Amino acid sequence: MEVVWAVGQVGAVWVAVVLGLVMLPSALGISLGISEAYMWVLVKTLEWATIRLQKGAKKPQLQMPQTPNANGIIERDETPMEKEIALLHRADFEFSHIFYFCRKGFEAIVEDEVTQRFSSEELLSWNLLTRTNVNFHYISLRLTVVWVIGVVVRYCFLLPLRFSLAAIGITSMIVGTTVVGQLPNSSVKNYLSEVVHLMCSRILVRALSGTIHYHNKENRPQKGGICVANHTSPIDAIILTNDGCYAMVGQVHGGLMGIIQRATVKACPHVWFERSEIKDRHLVTKRLREHVADKSKLPILIFPEGTCINNTSVMMFKKGSFEIGGTIYPVAIKYDPQFGDAFWNSSKYNIVSYLLRIMTSWAIVCNVWYLPPMVRKEDEDAVQFANRVRSAIARQGGLTELPWDGGLKRAKVKDTFKEEQQKNYSKMLVRNGSVG
Amino acid sequence: PGVPRGSAPVTSLLALAVTSEQIEHLHRRFKQLSQDQLTIRKENFDSIPDLEFNPIRGKIVHAFFDKRNLRQESDGLADEITFEDFLTIMSYFRPIEMNMDEEQLDRFRKEKLKFLFHMYDSDHDGKITLQEYRNVVEELLSGNPHLEKESARSIADGAMMEAASICVGQMGPDQVYEGITFEDFLKMWQGIDIETKMHVRFLNVDTIAHCY
Repeated sequence: MEVVWAVGQVGAVWVAVVLGLVMLPSALGISLGISEAYMWVLVKTLEWATIRLQKGAKKPQLQMPQTPNANGIIERDETPMEKEIALLHRADFEFSHIFYFCRKGFEAIVEDEVTQRFSSEELLSWNLLTRTNVNFHYISLRLTVVWVIGVVVRYCFLLPLRFSLAAIGITSMIVGTTVVGQLPNSSVKNYLSEVVHLMCSRILVRALSGTIHYHNKENRPQKGGICVANHTSPIDAIILTNDGCYAMVGQVHGGLMGIIQRATVKACPHVWFERSEIKDRHLVTKRLREHVADKSKLPILIFPEGTCINNTSVMMFKKGSFEIGGTIYPVAIKYDPQFGDAFWNSSKYNIVSYLLRIMTSWAIVCNVWYLPPMVRKEDEDAVQFANRVRSAIARQGGLTELPWDGGLKRAKVKDTFKEEQQKNYSKMLVRNGSVG
Repeated sequence: PGVPRGSAPVTSLLALAVTSEQIEHLHRRFKQLSQDQLTIRKENFDSIPDLEFNPIRGKIVHAFFDKRNLRQESDGLADEITFEDFLTIMSYFRPIEMNMDEEQLDRFRKEKLKFLFHMYDSDHDGKITLQEYRNVVEELLSGNPHLEKESARSIADGAMMEAASICVGQMGPDQVYEGITFEDFLKMWQGIDIETKMHVRFLNVDTIAHCY
């Protein structure tokens, strides 16, 4: 009898704690400052660790060219092909032409601009996570002790806490949206749906110990628009919905994800496609166009790269999103890898191990910039417009732009690219008058 | 950790100026290309998008497996290469150092030119024949629909004639120019600075406890 009473007491306390510390602040959008305090302690610890590491290393500082591009290990010669070949010789074709391509080939083999985007960004100093230290050099006893404490804190304390927060978040999302979905369509329903979505997003962000800085909030996406952002991980969507309501676009999944999708679509008009529908591009464009045309509907959220990139660059935007019309609101998301790597390498990790890694990182810190809205110009086609938007996002987020397709993670380069290069080269030769 | 020890020592050309960090970088790249196996095969080079761009891709990949470049006694092509072999090929692209003397520079140059020579001489007979040269030109010029095969041929023939005139001087009407030997090849490059064109320079990525 007493056991039941004791369990009841604990249960009541626990429920009170959850309601008071988690759900109410999330619903009202206020912060209790717990996350901030945690981040402060974390930053101080990592700074201390970095200083100890620097003291431990005894190498002299060499005076060789420092790399401005943090991801490159070789100095790539950016001279365009024409200049290089003109420098090498007179106009005709000679043995020397092979140099340029030979060197370019070697540069590509030693370091490849594209493949390195599908592996995690390298850190400049260790952040006390085992996964980011390939060669663990024993530096000092104190550092090892701190690292062990870190492991204990992360796995035994943070992980269960985050896991339960995530469970609370997902459950309240499903329950909340189902309840709201029962109401008849009205402005009250829309308001409540927004409240529920925001609250659950906030809980989920806390579940990841996320610290997000939003910049230029005045450019936040408006109703009837399309929000476009660079893609690094599945939690990008949560990062954005933490600050506003969007209509999600995506494929219908099974399992837990499917349950969430079915529940949320009752409360708010998200656009979920069946697998068969996704293949039909016209159908997809038509449905999205209808959604955008209705100015009372929430802005749709699209990630045009199509796959997760490691947050150091922005790859080719698929033009489909830019053919729908309407106003585009670009958003740049840049994660700080020092506290936790958000990149999901879907060919290496599955979603469960990815979530486990995220939940045992220190924190997810990122910056979100809302960019001014853009509209397609008269003389622009969808591809040019997509590139213009991409440049704006890359510039704001400090990412490099690559003309490559994110699909290269899994597929090979199209032959058309190779032929393009060969065409350029032979055009040059012909122009120099060496033919016949 | 991970860099194979106990195997044959790395060639002396390489041992000079490549730091252990750079070797670690290269080793990581090797593992990426080989997908965590101990050797790389030709198919592994298919996974490099930047390389697809390159018209002489075939010849470059071939060069990695060419036993002459790998300094092996036998001839022909290897099926797979180890990390040692990878470094051996990379050593052909080492930049020149400030503190090299005449003899080292000369040896260096010869090595690089030998590498290029092997790229042209695809049947490994020690001579670049007209047909082999035509192959290279066609590869470099393929992909342009406006350029017919005939034009590519005439370009190759023209260049070969020029090479012959440098190497052999005036030829009699029934003299047949068999092909460019390595000595002739060297002659052609006299006075032209190739060392600065054929190198890949590493940046100094000074990291303390390097992280992946």
